[in-house]
Amino acid sequence: MILEVKDLTIPTLDQKRVIVEKISFGVKEGIIHAIIGPNGSGKSTIAYAIMGLTNYKPSEGKIYFDGIDITNMSITERAKLGITLAWQEPARIDGLTVFKYISLGIKEKKNLEQNVSEALKIVNLPPEKYLNRFIDESLSGGERKRIELAAVVAMKPRLIILDEPDSGLDVIIVEDFLSIFNRIKQLNMTILLITHREDIGMVADYGTLMWYGNALITDEFPEVMLRYCKKAGLKEFCKRALFKNGERCFSEDYIDKIFEGVDDL
Amino acid sequence: MSNRDYPEEILQSLEDYNIDIRDFMPGHGKGAKLLLNFNKISGIEQVEGVILKGKEIENGIVADIIIKEGTKIEEPVHLCFGVNKESGVQEIFPRIIAEDNTNVTVQAHCSFPKADGLIHKMFGHFYIGKNCNFTYNETHYHGENSGALVAPVGFMYVGENSVFENNFNLTRGTPGKVKIMIDIYAMKNSVIKSTIKAFGKCKKDSIRIRDSVFLEGENARSIIKMKAAAKDGGEVLMYGITEGNAPQCNGHVECNEIVLGKGSICRARPFIRAIDPTSSVSHEASLGRFPQKWLDVLQAKGLTEEEAIQILIEAMLQEE
Repeated sequence: MILEVKDLTIPTLDQKRVIVEKISFGVKEGIIHAIIGPNGSGKSTIAYAIMGLTNYKPSEGKIYFDGIDITNMSITERAKLGITLAWQEPARIDGLTVFKYISLGIKEKKNLEQNVSEALKIVNLPPEKYLNRFIDESLSGGERKRIELAAVVAMKPRLIILDEPDSGLDVIIVEDFLSIFNRIKQLNMTILLITHREDIGMVADYGTLMWYGNALITDEFPEVMLRYCKKAGLKEFCKRALFKNGERCFSEDYIDKIFEGVDDL
Repeated sequence: MSNRDYPEEILQSLEDYNIDIRDFMPGHGKGAKLLLNFNKISGIEQVEGVILKGKEIENGIVADIIIKEGTKIEEPVHLCFGVNKESGVQEIFPRIIAEDNTNVTVQAHCSFPKADGLIHKMFGHFYIGKNCNFTYNETHYHGENSGALVAPVGFMYVGENSVFENNFNLTRGTPGKVKIMIDIYAMKNSVIKSTIKAFGKCKKDSIRIRDSVFLEGENARSIIKMKAAAKDGGEVLMYGITEGNAPQCNGHVECNEIVLGKGSICRARPFIRAIDPTSSVSHEASLGRFPQKWLDVLQAKGLTEEEAIQILIEAMLQEE
């Protein structure tokens, strides 16, 4: 496992409420692992805690990256180990060019322009049109998300956390993003994908279902999705929507059986 | 005139801060030029459609810069006011006139690399005619001793259907004491964009800037952007003033200031006024530290908090 989360509890800033409670799951190296669940189930909280953001300090539990306990490490230390995060709403930093922004995370300063250009190509942005642009209001939300993706890919990290990368994007662009995720996976980077959409999650190999602060199951993604549908009482949706690579993930009989069974989650 | 006639220290000091003006020197490049070495005019070069005239006075110069009607030039008109001495008084009285239908950029560089008790004053009048596109960029470099007292005053009239862009940059070196006052009068359908950036870096740096736009013509529009940082005891005070005095005019004042280290002070005083019921004037201001999210974003790229702050300051204050 490249990432292991053990019995992690994260309270609100005022410590009055628990956002996620004693969750545990592991992420295998070189795969796309989705964390799926309804809005407010604690998905992004887990992402921020793994990245080490100040306001998301665990009160209990441990986070291990490649066997190293990173629970008390700073964001910078985690990034230097090879963890990074692409934000749901990328920051808009006026005065910073796309080239400068992407190059910040590149350790090897030789051939910087070439490396930045390659990262832009991975996210389907022509470097000649973007390198000198500023990350300001002149860029659309979709463009900023691609630039954010390029910036994290350029770091050549071992684990990329993608927080709701699909939010605010139209259907065609989402399709393009899914192919980009696969391209990143081929570069031997592990992706932890935070999403609440089953069509986005279907790009994942494995998944973890978050349900109001608890991690209910970690398994191959279609199995996780099936349990998610059962928790939400969406049998017909499950039959209609669970396809992977154009093929139905489960037979209708299997879905019926799962839905009729005692909920052990 | 060649480069050699102009003080090497001034050229070098600008170059040290990535401001290379050698192409602006007389005999180089295509643009019109007016160079001042302390209180002596050291070079003037005119181009077709641009009249440059200067007269030396006791402590400086009086200068006329006239862009003739219909002149559209790509190369900026370059004004370079350098002082290679530690102290003294330099006073500049420029009158800049852009006649109707002109399109021009004026680039001013003010370099005082050894300033230690130096006074630089400017009292400028700008007249921008109708249907013009006029940009005025002014970049200062005051050395590292916080030893300059700089007090420019500018009155700018912007005619109908004209676009006026003003960019004032005071972010390199240590500024010393700076008092800037700009009044811009915007006529019918004109557009004003005024951006001022300043960085106070130590206790001896005290910067006060008043940037005012008076929207006097119907449908005139403006935006004032003031960006500043103060560290290690530096002080910055910015007044962003906009008055909506005409129908359908629209103005906005934006002020962002970052405070770093104990004893540093940033103050913002937006002042907005509307006397026409169809006008719209707004302001926003933020002071203090950078948003935590910006720091997190950069730290997740492997930067330390200090490195992230440095990058954000550079981004905020960089010349566009």
